[in-house]
Amino acid sequence: MLIDADRSTCVVSSLCVYRAPGVFDQDEDGHVVVVDHEPAPELHESVRRAVRGCPTQSIRITEDD
Amino acid sequence: MSLSKPVSYPFPWTPPLEIPEQWRHLRQQPILEVCLPSGDTALLVTRCADVKALFSDTRLSRNTARHPDSARISANNQLFGDANIDSDPPRYLAERSVVTRAFTARRIESLRPKVWEIANDLMDQLAAGPRPADLVSAYAFPLPIRVICHLLGVPTRDRDKFVGMVNGFMSITRLPAEEVESCRTGLSTYLTELIEAKRDHPGEDLTSHLVRISDEDQNTLSAYQLRHWVQTLLIAGYVTTATQIGVSMAMLLHRPHIVKEIQADLSLVPSAVEELMRYQVMGSSIGSLRYALEDIELSDGSVVPKGATVMLSVESNMDESVFPDPYTIDIRRKENNHLSFGSGIHYCAGAALARMELQVTYEGLLTRLPNLTLAVPGAQLRRAEGGFINGFTEVPVQW
Ligand code: HEM
Ligand code: SF4
Repeated sequence: MLIDADRSTCVVSSLCVYRAPGVFDQDEDGHVVVVDHEPAPELHESVRRAVRGCPTQSIRITEDD
Repeated sequence: MSLSKPVSYPFPWTPPLEIPEQWRHLRQQPILEVCLPSGDTALLVTRCADVKALFSDTRLSRNTARHPDSARISANNQLFGDANIDSDPPRYLAERSVVTRAFTARRIESLRPKVWEIANDLMDQLAAGPRPADLVSAYAFPLPIRVICHLLGVPTRDRDKFVGMVNGFMSITRLPAEEVESCRTGLSTYLTELIEAKRDHPGEDLTSHLVRISDEDQNTLSAYQLRHWVQTLLIAGYVTTATQIGVSMAMLLHRPHIVKEIQADLSLVPSAVEELMRYQVMGSSIGSLRYALEDIELSDGSVVPKGATVMLSVESNMDESVFPDPYTIDIRRKENNHLSFGSGIHYCAGAALARMELQVTYEGLLTRLPNLTLAVPGAQLRRAEGGFINGFTEVPVQW
């Protein structure tokens, strides 16, 4: 799994940081920062939940084939 | 669209602790014509997928006050409609981000001990006082007001004065127009004074921070916008959270088996908070009013016509195609992307704060007062009427 996030559309809900803590963080202004671009398999479900919960669809994931 | 007479909105809450029967039939039509307290007509978009998509649709404008033909909520109170504030992208996003930086997960977590301190103080007073007690006046309202005043640097001595003015501001039909107006001007004067005081004696609070940004660069945040934001935060952060605490605690206490489950496993608190956010939606979608700049086609082909005033239905949290068994409170619900904080670019700026306050509340009250119960049958609780948000006027409790 590969993760990418778009800071320009992020509205600082902080939701992804709560749903997948070691994967997402926030910069000084609260915009999303991906800290783990290729998270371990046991984190994938929480990452998917963060993606589905993002109010502005600012997180993209590419799943492994 | 229906040709029948528009139904009155907000829908009545009967019985008080269950979802109204009317909500079960809402989604048969994708768009329902409703009559607002002002007598004006709006279109309630009912299905979750449509509502979610529309929250991010730029053909819907949040600048309802700029369109004279948009529906008014109340004849007595223009509420948040302010034609001088542009709430649409792209301008709005930059402005909002000046404020939301105070609500990052890290900053909210650093506030958690302060919220516990306030909660513990209120619980001490509650526990030492007479029984039964009213949870609404003893806890649900004082907690968020003290939190938001702390965040914004409102001095303790001004708190009560401030509460009266906000309550007037939130009236739709409860108070006569003159009284609403005098609360509005009183609040406005008070905020001007608060901002001046922070300019002279800046502190660590959010108001001081916003004053500094505005003084540095009026293009980022004009003096007018500064006052608007401080006011919005005070109002949006207070009655909403207070209402959610009062009603969701009543809903929990009315279902003692759920209370026991939470007490046996406190790690369920965050998902319980989320599920009660989904279930208890304050009774209305009035907060998410929009104006259609163009015709907009929904998923089933029906059309929201240009010029219509649209409400994005929070009742869509009961959409069975998205939330299985929606009328059951399931505190272990895995997928819970409810719309109670909205979605898209206006997603509630204070959502993380509200969640944290609710978590502290459930854990605090259910461990500190483990035998807490409703002191009257749930069916006797009464919803306030004629306000922007209608919670229970009183929640008598015993322990
Ligand atoms: C349980 C409590 C709360 C609920 C249910 C709630 C609900 C909402 C909803 C539905 C919106 C979106 C309105 C729209 O789409 O037009 C919103 C916006 C907002 N909320 Fe909250 N809110 C709560 C608590 C708070 C708190 C604690 C704060 C701040 C301290 C806050 C500040 C705001 C602000 C500033 C906005 C406007 C955001 C924007 O327009 O971009 N809210 N809230
Ligand atoms: S969930 Fe989306 S909007 Fe919220 S902080 Fe993460 S990326 Fe930003």
